Amino acid sequence: MATIATTVPPATARRALARPVGTLAGRRFQLTARTPRELFVPLITPILFALVIAPALRAALHTGPAYESFIAVGTIGLLIPLNTMFSGLSVIVDRETGAHRELLAAPIPRSLLVVANLLVALAVTAFQVVTLIAFALARGIAFDASPSGVGWFFVSGVLFSVGMYGVAETLASRVPQQEEYIARVPAIAIVPWFLAGSLFPISALPAFLAWFARFLPLTHGLALMRYGLLGDQTGLANIWGMSNVTVMASLSLGVVAVFAAGMLAVSIRVFTRSALR
Amino acid sequence: MKIDIDRSSKPWPAAIEVRDLAKTYPGDVEAVRGIDFDVVPGEVFGVLGPNGAGKSTTIGMLTSTVRPTRGTARLGGYDVARQPLAARRVSSVLFQEPAIDRMLSGRRNLEIHARLWGQDPATTSARIGEITESMGLGELVDRPAGTLSGGERRRLEIARALVSEPRVLFLDEPTVGLDPRIRHELLDLIAGLRSRSGMSILLTTHYLDEADRLCDRLAVMHQGRIVAMDSPAALRADMGDEIVELRASGPPGAVLAQLRSSGVAGNDAFTVGSTVTIPVTNGGAARTVAAVHDLELEVTAISTRTPTLDDVYLRLTGGRLTDAA
Repeated sequence: MATIATTVPPATARRALARPVGTLAGRRFQLTARTPRELFVPLITPILFALVIAPALRAALHTGPAYESFIAVGTIGLLIPLNTMFSGLSVIVDRETGAHRELLAAPIPRSLLVVANLLVALAVTAFQVVTLIAFALARGIAFDASPSGVGWFFVSGVLFSVGMYGVAETLASRVPQQEEYIARVPAIAIVPWFLAGSLFPISALPAFLAWFARFLPLTHGLALMRYGLLGDQTGLANIWGMSNVTVMASLSLGVVAVFAAGMLAVSIRVFTRSALR
Repeated sequence: MKIDIDRSSKPWPAAIEVRDLAKTYPGDVEAVRGIDFDVVPGEVFGVLGPNGAGKSTTIGMLTSTVRPTRGTARLGGYDVARQPLAARRVSSVLFQEPAIDRMLSGRRNLEIHARLWGQDPATTSARIGEITESMGLGELVDRPAGTLSGGERRRLEIARALVSEPRVLFLDEPTVGLDPRIRHELLDLIAGLRSRSGMSILLTTHYLDEADRLCDRLAVMHQGRIVAMDSPAALRADMGDEIVELRASGPPGAVLAQLRSSGVAGNDAFTVGSTVTIPVTNGGAARTVAAVHDLELEVTAISTRTPTLDDVYLRLTGGRLTDAA
C-alpha cells in the first residue's frame, strides 16, 4: 500500500506561525501601551543612577568623566533586568484578570504566547535603553562606539534581554501571585547587578566574589556592552584574562547566547507545562 | 422551541466523543473516574453536578488544558490529546470566570479571537458586526471591556466564542455569579444559540432550572462518575408522576423502613436529612398520604408535588444539589 507523505512548505509554516505571533504581540503591545507604568517605572532608577548618582559619586570619589560613562552602561545592566521582570509581571496579571485561559484555548502552539510576549518585552527594553542613552548624551556623558562596537552592544543587549525575559516568564509561570513574584525581583534583578561589575570592575571584589561574578550572565553582558559602547576591554580581561579581545568578546557572547537560549527554552517548557494540569 | 435531533443516523461524526475519560490529580485525587458519552451535532448536552463532581475537569480535558490520565476524547473527530490544535480550532469556550482583556475594547477582544482561530480577515468585521448586533452589543462593542457590566461582559464573551463559528461550544457554568435578572436574560440568549445549525453545546451547571430549560440530554456527575444520563423529561419520569414528601420527627431511617415493610414505599424511596421522599406513580399520591396517616408515623409534615431534577439528583447521590454547590 502506498503511503502518502505530506509536508508543509517552510514558507507556509512560517506564515502560519507569524500571523498568530503578530496578533499576540499586537495584543500585548496594546495592553502595555495602556499601562504607562510598564514603560516608565523601570526607567526611573537607572536614569536617576546615570544622571544624578554617578555624577555625585564622581565628585565624591574624585574620579574622571570615564567613570560616568562606565556607570551609564552599568545602569543598562539594571534597566534590562528591571524591565523584563516588569514584563513578566504582566503575565501574572493576564492569568489573574486577563484573557490567559482564552489564549490557552486558542488553536495555536502555546509556546507562541511566550514568543509574542518576548518580542514586546524586547521592543520596550530597546525603547528604554535608547531613552537612557539619549538622557546620558544630553547630560554630556561620552560614548566611544564604532559601528562594530554598536553591533557587539546590540547583540549582547538583545541576547541578555532574551535570557532575562526567560527568567521572568519562568518565574511568572511558577509563582501563583503578584506579591510572591515582586518579592523575588530584588534577588533576581538587583543583587546580581551589584556583583557583575556595574559600579566597579569585578577585580575590585574579594577574590571569591570575583570568581563567582564570572558565572553571572550579567557580568559578560556588561563587559560586552562596555566593549561595544566605550571600547573598554577591561571587563572582558577581568573575566577571561586573555590578550585577544575578539576571542574574549566571542566567548562572553557565547555565554550570553547560551543563557538566552537556555532560559528561553526553560521558560517555554515551564509555561506550556503550567498550562496543562 | 426545541430542535429535533435524530440520534439513529449519524451523517457526521459525533461532535464530542468521550470514552473512558479519567483524570487523577497528584495525591491520588480522582477527579474524573472513567466517563463515556457522545454529543451529536446540534445537541445541547448538560453536565450536572455539584462543585467537585468533575465537571470543570471534564471541560479542561476536552479543551486540552487538563491532561487525561486515561481514555480518549474527540471534538469533531479530532483527538484532544493527539491533535490538540485541530480540536481547539473547532471549539470555543466560555469560561466560568471572565477571561477577557478588560483594557481592550470589546471589538478588539473579538478580533483577536477571530485571528487566532484563523478566520478570514476580510469577513471578520462583518461577522463581528452581525454577532454583536444580534446580542445587543452593537453600541457597547467599542467600549473597553472593563467598563461593561457583568451581564454585558458575559454576552461579549459569548459573542467572542461564536466569532470563530465553532462546531462545539463549551459553556462552563455560564451564569454563576450573575444576578437573577441578568441570569435569565443570559439563559434566553443561550437558548437562542440552539438555532445555529450544527453547533453542539456542552453546558456544565449546578442550576437545575438551567439544565432543564436548555439541555436535550443531561449527564448527572457525582464524585467523578456519570451516575445517570438521559433527557431531563426521562430522568424526571424515573421519579414517577408525583412525589410524597414527609418530614420525620423521629429517625427518618426508621420511618422509611416502616413505610417499606408496610408496602407504602418501594425501593426507590429515600431519605435526606429528616425528609423522606416517596416517588409515586399512577396518581397514587392520595392513597400514599392516607396510608401514612393510617400508620401513625412520627412525621410533622406531609406534602405532595411533581418530581424535579433535584429529586433525581437526590436519589442518585444522596445529597441535595443546591446544598453541595
